[in-house]
Amino acid sequence: MSSEKTKPTVQTTGHAWDGDIQEFNNPLPTWWLWTFYATVVFAIIYWVLFPAWPVGKDYTKGVMNEITYTTSEGKTKTTHWNTRSLLLKEMQLARESQAKYLKDINASTFEQIAADEEKSAFAYSAAKVLFADNCAACHQAGGDGVIGYYPNLLDDAWLWGGSFSNIQETIVKGRMGAMPGFKSRLTEKQISDVSVYVLSLSGDVTDASAAKRGKAVFNNDGGCTACHGADAKGIITMGSANLTDKIWTIADVTGADTFDAKKAAVSDLIKNGKSREMPGWKDRLTAAEIKMLTFYVHQLAGGK
Amino acid sequence: MVASSAPVEQYNYDIVRKFTIMALVWGVLGMLAGVYIASELAFPFLNFDIAQITFGRLRPVHTTLVIFGFGGSALFATSYYVVQRTCQTRLFSDGAANFTFWGWNLSVGLAAISYMMGYTQAREYAEMVWPIDLLIAVTWVVYLVIYVMTLRRRSQPHIYVANWFFIAFILATALLHIFNNMAVPVHMFSLSSYSLHAGVQDAMTQWWYGHNAVGFFLTAAFLGMMYYFIPKQVGRPVYSYRLSIIHFWALIFLYMWVGGHHLHWTALPDWTSTLAAGFSILLLMPSWGGMINGIMTLSGAWDKLRTDPIIRFMVVSLSFYGMSTFEGPLMSLKSVNALSHYTDWTIGHVHSGALGWVAMISFGSFYHLIPRLWETKMYSEKLIFTHFWLATIGIVLYISALWVAGIGQGLLLRAFDEYGNLAYTFIETVSFLHQPYVIRAIGGGLFLLGTILMGYNTLMTIRKAKKERTEIEAKIAAKLANA
Repeated sequence: MSSEKTKPTVQTTGHAWDGDIQEFNNPLPTWWLWTFYATVVFAIIYWVLFPAWPVGKDYTKGVMNEITYTTSEGKTKTTHWNTRSLLLKEMQLARESQAKYLKDINASTFEQIAADEEKSAFAYSAAKVLFADNCAACHQAGGDGVIGYYPNLLDDAWLWGGSFSNIQETIVKGRMGAMPGFKSRLTEKQISDVSVYVLSLSGDVTDASAAKRGKAVFNNDGGCTACHGADAKGIITMGSANLTDKIWTIADVTGADTFDAKKAAVSDLIKNGKSREMPGWKDRLTAAEIKMLTFYVHQLAGGK
Repeated sequence: MVASSAPVEQYNYDIVRKFTIMALVWGVLGMLAGVYIASELAFPFLNFDIAQITFGRLRPVHTTLVIFGFGGSALFATSYYVVQRTCQTRLFSDGAANFTFWGWNLSVGLAAISYMMGYTQAREYAEMVWPIDLLIAVTWVVYLVIYVMTLRRRSQPHIYVANWFFIAFILATALLHIFNNMAVPVHMFSLSSYSLHAGVQDAMTQWWYGHNAVGFFLTAAFLGMMYYFIPKQVGRPVYSYRLSIIHFWALIFLYMWVGGHHLHWTALPDWTSTLAAGFSILLLMPSWGGMINGIMTLSGAWDKLRTDPIIRFMVVSLSFYGMSTFEGPLMSLKSVNALSHYTDWTIGHVHSGALGWVAMISFGSFYHLIPRLWETKMYSEKLIFTHFWLATIGIVLYISALWVAGIGQGLLLRAFDEYGNLAYTFIETVSFLHQPYVIRAIGGGLFLLGTILMGYNTLMTIRKAKKERTEIEAKIAAKLANA
C-alpha cells in the first residue's frame, strides 16, 4: 500500500477528530504555489493595462491603451481604453469598410444595382439580415407570409405594385389596406352569388347562372368595381386585390378542399371585410437600408 | 471523550435525518423542473399555453429547489452532522434546530409556489418576495446561533477545517442575503417591493450576491462537506493542513471581489469589471487548493475505486470542481466573456459546477451518511453504481451539448460576411440550438433518473432499518420473556 510509504516521512498535526480524522502537514505543492504566483503576475499586468482600481473619486486608467475614434457625426476623440470607445471604434471601422459600397448604392438606380454583380451582392448580403430582423416577424423568415394576415412576398401578385418604386414607397410610408364588410348592404343570397362569380374569375366555374347573377351584383349593387376595377384585376393605387389570378391573400381559398369551403371563405371575407396595416419604416431604417431591402424584396418574387 | 455507547442520546441525529430526506425530495422535484424546462427549450409546445409552467416561471422554481431546497438541505444535514461529530458534542438546542428545519423548508416551498403564481423580485437566485426573505433571514440567524453555540460547546481543543468552511458559508450567506434583499414593500399587504439600490449599483449588488452564492453557498460549504466525508470514507488523513489554511483564507478573501465579472460589457464602469476579472484569475489556485487536498487525500486508496461507489462519486466531484473552477476564471476575462456571455456556455459552466461538483459530492456524502443515520446498510449497492453511471454520463452529455450550443451561438452572432454585414440572422442562431438542447434535456433526464434511484434506495434502506429494529426488539422481548 502506498499509504505505508508516505506515513513515516510526513507527520500529522497530532490532532484527531471524530475518532479517526487526522491531517498530514504536507508542504504546499510547489507547482501549485508557482502557478498561484503566475496568476498574481497575470492579474497585476491585467490591472496595469486596463482601467482597474478606484483611487479617491477617480480610477486608474491603464497604460498604453489609448483609443482614437471618429463618431458618426465626424468628431474625433481620444480616450483611455474603455468598452464604449472600443465599440465606437469598431463602428467607425465598420462604417469605413462599407462606405464605398453604400456610396455606390446611394448613387445607383435599382437597375444599375441589379446589373452590377458586386453592388447587387452587397445589397443582397445587407438586406438578408435587415429582412430577417425587421420584416420576418410578419412576412416570415422565407417571406411567404401568413394567409389572412401578412401578404406572401414570394408569389407574383403585388397588391401595391411590384415595381422598384412601388415597393420602395410601400416600405418607406407603409400601407393601409381595407376591404369593407358588406353584410348590411347585400343579402345573404347576393353575397353567395358574388362569391361564386369571384371564384369563377380564376377558373372555378360550377354554377353558371349563379355566377351570372353574381356578376350583376359585382358591377351594380355591390359596387365592387369601385375598388377592384371593371375587369376585377385590382387597382394598384388602392391596394385592391386582383381577383382573376389564382393567388389569394386573405380568403384561404387555396387551403380549402371543396368548392363549398372555398365559397365559405370568400363569402366570409365579403361579409365581414378585413383591414390590414403595414407600418412605415422611414424612421427606423436609413434610406440606403430601405433601398437595399427594396431590391431584396423585388428579387424574392421576381418583381415587375 | 464519551464513548459512543448511546449514540442516539449523544448526538441529535433526528434533525440530520429530516434534512437528508428533504434534500432528496427537493432534489427530485427541482431536477424534474429542470428537465421539463430544458425540454421546453427544445420543444416549445410543452408550454401548453399554461402561464404557470412556462419557462420564465419554472426556471426560478428549478434553481430555487435545486440550490436552496436540495443543496441547502444537504448542507443543513451535513453541517449539523459534521459539527456534532467533530466537536463530539450534541447540537445546541433541539427546538432551534427544528425551527431551522421548518423555516427553511417552508421558505423553499412558498418560494416555488409564489414563482408559479407569478410573484418574483426579479433578482436571479433571490427571486423570493420580501415576506419569504424575512423568514429566510430569521431562519438563517438561528442557524448561525446554533452553529456557533455548538462550536463553543465542543469537547475538542481545535476546530476542524470542515467547520471553518461551514461557518464562513453561514456568515457570508447571512450578509449576502440581507444586503441584496433590502427593499421597501409597495404597501403592507403587497408582495411587491422596491429595491433600496438603483441602476448599475443595483445590478452590482445583485451580482455581488449572485457570485458569492456560488462562492460561499455552492463552493465553500460543499468544501466543508468534502473535508469531513472524504477522509472519513477513505480512512486516510487529510493531505495537507497547511494547504487547507492557505486556500481557505485565500478563497474567503478573493471571492467577495469577483461578482463584477457577471457584468462585463454593460453599464458597469470598466474599472469595476476589470478589477473583478483580475481577482477571478487570482481565485484559480485557491480553488484548486481544495481539489488538490481532496484528491491527494484519496491517493493511496485508488484501489478502493474498484469496489467503493462512494469514493467514485467523490473523485468525479473533485474533478468537476477542478474543471469548472478553471473554466470560471477563463470566462471572466473580458475577451472570452464577449463570446460566452448571454450564450448557453454560461449555463453549461454552472451545471458542470452544480451537477458535477455540488450534487456529486452531496450524493457521495449521503451514501456515507444514510446507513449511519439509520444504523443499517444501504438497501442496494448495485443501485449506487447505477446511480453513479447515470449521473456521470448525464453530466457529460449535458455539458458537451451546451459547449456546442454556447460557443456555436457566440460565434454565429459575431460572424460577418465579406461585405461586413452580419452573416447570420438572429433566428438562425436560435434554430441552431435545437439539437444541443435535445441532447442537454436527455443528459439532464439521465441525471434525474439517477437521483430518483437514490431516493428509492434511501426509502428502501429506511424501511429495512425499521424492519431490522422491530426484529431485534422482538428477539430481546423473547429473551426477556424466557428469562
